[in-house]
Amino acid sequence: MRKRKDHQASENEKPNLIGTFISVMLLGAFIIITWFGAYALFISR
Amino acid sequence: MHLHKFEKIWLVCGIGSLVVFLFIVGYGAFWQGTHPQSHGVTIDPYNIESNEAFKPENLGLTKVDDDKYIVNIAASAFNYDLGKDEEGNAVKTIRIPKGSTVLFQAATKDVVHGFHVAGTNVNMMVEPGYVSSLETVMDNAGTYTIVCNEYCGVGHHMMYATVEVYE
Repeated sequence: MRKRKDHQASENEKPNLIGTFISVMLLGAFIIITWFGAYALFISR
Repeated sequence: MHLHKFEKIWLVCGIGSLVVFLFIVGYGAFWQGTHPQSHGVTIDPYNIESNEAFKPENLGLTKVDDDKYIVNIAASAFNYDLGKDEEGNAVKTIRIPKGSTVLFQAATKDVVHGFHVAGTNVNMMVEPGYVSSLETVMDNAGTYTIVCNEYCGVGHHMMYATVEVYE
Protein backbone atom coordinates (compact mmCIF):
# COMPACT_ATOMS: atom_id res chain seq x y z
CA MET A 1 0.00 0.00 0.00
CA ARG A 2 2.73 2.35 0.92
CA LYS A 3 4.69 1.47 -2.20
CA ARG A 4 1.76 2.35 -4.37
CA LYS A 5 1.51 5.77 -2.78
CA ASP A 6 5.21 6.53 -3.51
CA HIS A 7 4.75 5.49 -7.09
CA GLN A 8 1.86 7.86 -7.55
CA ALA A 9 3.75 10.73 -5.97
CA SER A 10 6.76 10.28 -8.25
CA GLU A 11 4.57 10.42 -11.35
CA ASN A 12 3.47 13.91 -10.49
CA GLU A 13 6.99 15.17 -9.83
CA LYS A 14 9.15 16.47 -12.70
CA PRO A 15 12.04 14.11 -13.48
CA ASN A 16 15.45 15.48 -12.63
CA LEU A 17 17.20 15.71 -16.01
CA ILE A 18 20.08 18.03 -15.17
CA GLY A 19 22.68 15.21 -15.52
CA THR A 20 21.22 14.13 -18.85
CA PHE A 21 21.16 17.73 -20.02
CA ILE A 22 24.83 18.26 -19.17
CA SER A 23 25.79 14.96 -20.90
CA VAL A 24 23.87 15.89 -24.05
CA MET A 25 25.47 19.36 -24.17
CA LEU A 26 28.97 17.89 -23.62
CA LEU A 27 28.41 15.43 -26.47
CA GLY A 28 27.17 18.27 -28.68
CA ALA A 29 30.22 20.39 -27.81
CA PHE A 30 32.51 17.44 -28.63
CA ILE A 31 30.87 16.97 -32.06
CA ILE A 32 31.15 20.69 -32.86
CA ILE A 33 34.81 20.86 -31.73
CA THR A 34 35.77 17.82 -33.86
CA TRP A 35 33.89 19.27 -36.85
CA PHE A 36 35.86 22.52 -36.62
CA GLY A 37 39.05 20.50 -36.12
CA ALA A 38 38.48 18.64 -39.39
CA TYR A 39 37.57 21.92 -41.13
CA ALA A 40 40.77 23.57 -39.84
CA LEU A 41 42.80 20.63 -41.24
CA PHE A 42 41.09 21.03 -44.62
CA ILE A 43 41.80 24.78 -44.72
CA SER A 44 45.44 24.53 -43.59
CA ARG A 45 46.52 21.81 -46.03
CA MET B 1 2.49 15.86 -25.39
CA HIS B 2 4.45 17.08 -22.42
CA LEU B 3 8.11 17.85 -22.94
CA HIS B 4 10.56 18.71 -20.21
CA LYS B 5 12.19 22.14 -20.62
CA PHE B 6 15.64 20.54 -21.07
CA GLU B 7 14.30 18.19 -23.72
CA LYS B 8 13.04 21.19 -25.68
CA ILE B 9 16.48 22.82 -25.46
CA TRP B 10 18.42 19.80 -26.76
CA LEU B 11 15.86 19.03 -29.45
CA VAL B 12 16.19 22.62 -30.72
CA CYS B 13 20.02 22.29 -30.65
CA GLY B 14 19.93 18.92 -32.46
CA ILE B 15 17.46 19.91 -35.15
CA GLY B 16 19.19 23.30 -35.50
CA SER B 17 22.58 21.69 -36.11
CA LEU B 18 21.02 19.33 -38.65
CA VAL B 19 19.68 22.36 -40.54
CA VAL B 20 23.07 24.13 -40.31
CA PHE B 21 24.99 21.08 -41.61
CA LEU B 22 22.51 20.53 -44.47
CA PHE B 23 22.87 24.20 -45.39
CA ILE B 24 26.68 23.85 -45.43
CA VAL B 25 26.43 20.80 -47.72
CA GLY B 26 23.99 22.65 -49.99
CA TYR B 27 26.20 25.76 -50.05
CA GLY B 28 29.22 23.67 -51.04
CA ALA B 29 27.32 21.80 -53.75
CA PHE B 30 25.22 24.55 -55.33
CA TRP B 31 27.18 27.77 -54.76
CA GLN B 32 30.76 26.54 -54.70
CA GLY B 33 30.39 23.71 -57.20
CA THR B 34 31.85 20.98 -54.98
CA HIS B 35 31.21 17.61 -56.57
CA PRO B 36 32.99 14.31 -57.21
CA GLN B 37 36.33 14.71 -58.97
CA SER B 38 35.28 12.95 -62.17
CA HIS B 39 33.28 16.08 -63.19
CA GLY B 40 31.37 13.80 -65.58
CA VAL B 41 34.29 13.94 -68.07
CA THR B 42 34.44 10.58 -69.79
CA ILE B 43 37.27 8.68 -71.49
CA ASP B 44 37.61 5.30 -73.21
CA PRO B 45 39.21 3.17 -70.46
CA TYR B 46 40.64 0.71 -73.04
CA ASN B 47 42.32 3.52 -74.95
CA ILE B 48 43.10 6.43 -72.65
CA GLU B 49 45.86 7.51 -75.07
CA SER B 50 43.10 8.74 -77.37
CA ASN B 51 42.68 11.65 -74.93
CA GLU B 52 45.28 14.38 -75.56
CA ALA B 53 46.18 14.65 -71.86
CA PHE B 54 47.01 10.95 -71.54
CA LYS B 55 49.23 10.49 -74.59
CA PRO B 56 52.54 8.99 -73.33
CA GLU B 57 54.45 12.21 -74.17
CA ASN B 58 52.01 14.36 -72.17
CA LEU B 59 52.15 12.34 -68.96
CA GLY B 60 53.78 13.76 -65.86
CA LEU B 61 54.53 17.38 -65.00
CA THR B 62 54.00 20.13 -67.56
CA LYS B 63 54.57 23.82 -66.91
CA VAL B 64 51.84 25.84 -68.59
CA ASP B 65 52.51 29.30 -67.16
CA ASP B 66 54.42 31.03 -64.36
CA ASP B 67 53.42 29.16 -61.21
CA LYS B 68 50.92 27.06 -63.13
CA TYR B 69 51.42 23.36 -63.72
CA ILE B 70 49.48 20.37 -64.99
CA VAL B 71 50.23 16.84 -63.84
CA ASN B 72 48.76 14.05 -65.97
CA ILE B 73 48.73 10.59 -64.46
CA ALA B 74 47.85 7.27 -66.06
CA ALA B 75 47.05 4.87 -63.24
CA SER B 76 47.14 1.14 -63.79
CA ALA B 77 47.68 -1.94 -61.64
CA PHE B 78 50.11 -1.28 -59.96
CA ASN B 79 51.75 1.89 -61.16
CA TYR B 80 51.33 5.62 -61.62
CA ASP B 81 52.67 6.49 -65.06
CA LEU B 82 54.22 9.96 -64.79
CA GLY B 83 56.03 9.80 -68.12
CA LYS B 84 59.71 9.25 -68.81
CA ASP B 85 62.76 11.43 -68.16
CA GLU B 86 65.45 12.29 -70.80
CA GLU B 87 67.21 8.99 -70.20
CA GLY B 88 64.05 7.01 -70.75
CA ASN B 89 63.55 6.01 -67.12
CA ALA B 90 60.10 6.13 -65.59
CA VAL B 91 59.52 9.29 -63.55
CA LYS B 92 58.72 8.52 -59.93
CA THR B 93 59.24 11.97 -58.37
CA ILE B 94 57.86 15.28 -59.54
CA ARG B 95 59.19 18.58 -58.23
CA ILE B 96 56.96 21.63 -57.96
CA PRO B 97 57.88 25.08 -56.59
CA LYS B 98 55.97 26.19 -53.50
CA GLY B 99 52.93 28.36 -54.14
CA SER B 100 52.20 26.90 -57.59
CA THR B 101 48.73 26.17 -58.85
CA VAL B 102 48.66 22.55 -59.92
CA LEU B 103 45.96 20.74 -61.87
CA PHE B 104 46.08 16.98 -61.32
CA GLN B 105 44.37 14.92 -64.03
CA ALA B 106 44.19 11.18 -63.65
CA ALA B 107 42.68 8.30 -65.57
CA THR B 108 42.85 4.54 -65.11
CA LYS B 109 43.48 1.83 -67.69
CA ASP B 110 41.97 -0.97 -65.65
CA VAL B 111 40.29 -1.02 -62.24
CA VAL B 112 39.35 1.67 -59.73
CA HIS B 113 42.40 3.32 -58.19
CA GLY B 114 42.88 6.05 -55.63
CA PHE B 115 45.05 9.13 -56.00
CA HIS B 116 45.99 10.69 -52.69
CA VAL B 117 48.86 13.09 -52.21
CA ALA B 118 49.12 12.20 -48.52
CA GLY B 119 49.14 15.23 -46.25
CA THR B 120 47.31 17.48 -48.72
CA ASN B 121 43.71 17.85 -49.85
CA VAL B 122 44.50 16.16 -53.17
CA ASN B 123 42.52 12.99 -52.75
CA MET B 124 40.35 11.45 -55.44
CA MET B 125 39.05 8.21 -56.85
CA VAL B 126 40.14 7.29 -60.34
CA GLU B 127 37.36 5.34 -61.98
CA PRO B 128 37.45 3.51 -65.30
CA GLY B 129 35.80 5.62 -67.97
CA TYR B 130 36.22 8.97 -66.21
CA VAL B 131 38.89 11.66 -66.01
CA SER B 132 39.38 12.73 -62.40
CA SER B 133 40.79 16.20 -61.93
CA LEU B 134 41.50 18.48 -59.03
CA GLU B 135 43.19 21.87 -58.98
CA THR B 136 45.05 22.97 -55.89
CA VAL B 137 47.65 25.45 -54.69
CA MET B 138 50.71 23.77 -53.20
CA ASP B 139 51.31 26.18 -50.33
CA ASN B 140 53.33 23.97 -47.99
CA ALA B 141 56.85 22.85 -48.86
CA GLY B 142 57.70 19.24 -48.22
CA THR B 143 57.87 15.76 -49.64
CA TYR B 144 54.54 14.07 -50.16
CA THR B 145 53.85 10.50 -51.12
CA ILE B 146 51.19 9.77 -53.68
CA VAL B 147 49.36 6.64 -52.57
CA CYS B 148 46.59 4.52 -53.98
CA ASN B 149 43.85 4.37 -51.36
CA GLU B 150 41.39 2.19 -53.25
CA TYR B 151 42.31 -1.48 -52.96
CA CYS B 152 43.20 -2.47 -56.53
CA GLY B 153 44.80 -5.89 -56.24
CA VAL B 154 47.80 -7.78 -54.84
CA GLY B 155 50.28 -5.03 -55.72
CA HIS B 156 48.16 -2.22 -54.27
CA HIS B 157 50.74 -1.34 -51.62
CA MET B 158 53.50 -0.97 -54.21
CA MET B 159 51.59 1.72 -56.07
CA TYR B 160 53.13 5.05 -55.13
CA ALA B 161 55.06 8.08 -56.37
CA THR B 162 56.46 11.22 -54.78
CA VAL B 163 55.71 14.93 -55.03
CA GLU B 164 58.37 17.35 -53.81
CA VAL B 165 57.26 20.90 -53.12
CA TYR B 166 60.39 23.03 -52.83
CA GLU B 167 60.93 26.64 -51.64
